[in-house]
Amino acid sequence: MKIKGDAGGIGERKPDGQRVDGESYRVLIVDDSMFVTKQMGQILTSEGFQVVATAGDGEEGVQKYKELYPNIDLVTMDITMPKMDGITALEKIIEFDKEAKVIMVSALGKQDLVKKSLLSGAKNYIVKPLDRKKVLERIVMSLNK
Amino acid sequence: MRVEYINPFVEASYNILKEVLNSEVVRGELYLKSSSTPVLGVAALVGLAGDVEGRVLFDMTKDTAIGIASIMNGEKLTVLDELGKATITELANLITAQAVTKLHDLGFKFDLTPPALFTGENMEISNSQVEALIVPMKLSCGKIEINVAIRERA
Repeated sequence: MKIKGDAGGIGERKPDGQRVDGESYRVLIVDDSMFVTKQMGQILTSEGFQVVATAGDGEEGVQKYKELYPNIDLVTMDITMPKMDGITALEKIIEFDKEAKVIMVSALGKQDLVKKSLLSGAKNYIVKPLDRKKVLERIVMSLNK
Repeated sequence: MRVEYINPFVEASYNILKEVLNSEVVRGELYLKSSSTPVLGVAALVGLAGDVEGRVLFDMTKDTAIGIASIMNGEKLTVLDELGKATITELANLITAQAVTKLHDLGFKFDLTPPALFTGENMEISNSQVEALIVPMKLSCGKIEINVAIRERA
């Protein structure tokens, strides 16, 4: 898969997806697009993250988060999705686990949407199309918050 | 149709196509199409509703759709399978979302419908209530016609 900003192999350094104990960070991808799920999965696994589950809508995302908890480190959450939108799913996940690390991923870069996401507890906001470097930077930043 | 509605779609189409295809994109001359428009074979449709209403159609041949999906996925697709369709749908979503973000910044408020993808031969789309403006984009793997039909809400 061709991803903008792909820097090649992991090399000698510790991959971003690895914790200090050597284990991988566990990620849930919530997005209704097969293309985006595949692309995000590719970016994450190439950097040592483990994609433990995917969900195609907000409702399924909340359900999977609850099933996986506490064995989950991060959620990437689309906003416009069927059944339940990403902001509502974010609020429900934060209600369940106020320490949850959720990053919103959307093609919409409207300021009011970004603000609402952050006020609802999202750790960061990524505007699509996905750029490998930007995605990894935001995720690492969020994991360290 | 006011030019303020069109420019964000033209700019977003150019920017997104250039970024995801990682190659040059040449914008053709805009033109108006008659009330009934033939569809090239694969069309992603996004509806708009709010201060303005209408729809944007991303129209291309099947070969172009397969070519775009192949580039965006970094793998050669030979048919327009589920992944290919999801890729074209996402492309329509990316372009429309960027255009709508710009229009929101200009003060227009409206929502988008999720993209719907149509495939088939001998299809046509009718625009009896609103004229359609076509923005052709020439790509390395064919061309896309961005077909915009928007009007202010009465």
